Amino acid sequence: MVIDFGSFYDFPRYWDKVFEEFFGPATLAQRRAAYPPLNISENDEHIRVRAEIPGTAMQDVELTLTGRSLVIKGERKAPEGKYFRQERPAGVFQRVVTLNVPVERDGVRATLADGVLDIVLPKTEAVKPKKIDIQMS
Amino acid sequence: MSNDIAKTQQERQAQSGAPRFRQPSDIIEREDGFHIFMDMPGVAKGDLVIDLEDSELVVSGRACAELPEGEKYLEVEFGSCEYRRAFKLSDTVDRERIRASLSNGVLELFLPKAEAAQPRRIEIKAG
Repeated sequence: MVIDFGSFYDFPRYWDKVFEEFFGPATLAQRRAAYPPLNISENDEHIRVRAEIPGTAMQDVELTLTGRSLVIKGERKAPEGKYFRQERPAGVFQRVVTLNVPVERDGVRATLADGVLDIVLPKTEAVKPKKIDIQMS
Repeated sequence: MSNDIAKTQQERQAQSGAPRFRQPSDIIEREDGFHIFMDMPGVAKGDLVIDLEDSELVVSGRACAELPEGEKYLEVEFGSCEYRRAFKLSDTVDRERIRASLSNGVLELFLPKAEAAQPRRIEIKAG
C-alpha cells in the first residue's frame, strides 16, 4: 500500500498551475505536443500551412489531400554513428489538418526551404468573398 | 542565485524580444571525428553565426517566421526565435579543420580528430 503524505490542501498550487497554463506562452507549451509543429494562416485567397521539418528531404515527405483534410506524412532518418547525445527526434511522423473550406486541388503548391515546409492551398471561387456592386436605378 | 536569474532575464529581454532556444543537437562520434547535427529550421545561411573562442564553440542563429501582409493566424505552434548553444571542445579536436554545412534546416558540424588523437597501429619490429 502506498501512503500519500501529500497535503490535501493543494488549492493554492493548483490555482497557480491553472494561471500558468492560461497565461503562459502558448507557443512554448505546444512546441513539444505534436510533430511537426504547424502554423496555419489564411487570407481571402488561400490557406497556408507551414511546418518545421528540418532534416527531411522533399522526397521523404508525402502530402495527401483527401476530401476535407491535408495529411503530412514523412520520415526523419537518424544519422549513423556512436551517439553521445541524441535530442533530435527521429522516425515516422504524420499530422492531419482538417480543412473546413473547400480548396482548389489543382492549385496546391508546396515548397521546402531551410527546413520549413510551406503549403499554399487556394480557396475555391465559391467561398472567396465577393463584392457586389449596387446598381443605381 | 536570484541575481543570476534576474540577470539572464534581463539579457533575454534585451535581445529583440524573440524567445531563445537551445537547438536540439545530436553528437555522434565516427572514426574520422565528431559530428554535431543541429535542428535549426527557418534559419537562412546569412543568419547563422558560428564562433570559436578558445575551446568554446558557440552556434547562434535567428529564425524569422513573419506573416505575410493580410494573412491572419489560425494556429500557431512555432514562431520567430533565436537559437544559441555553446559546446566545449576537447583537445582531441583539430580546430583548424572544423567544417560546417547547412542543408534543409539542419546544421552539420564536423570536428575532425587531431592527428595525434587518431587510433594508430604500432608496428612491431622483429628484433
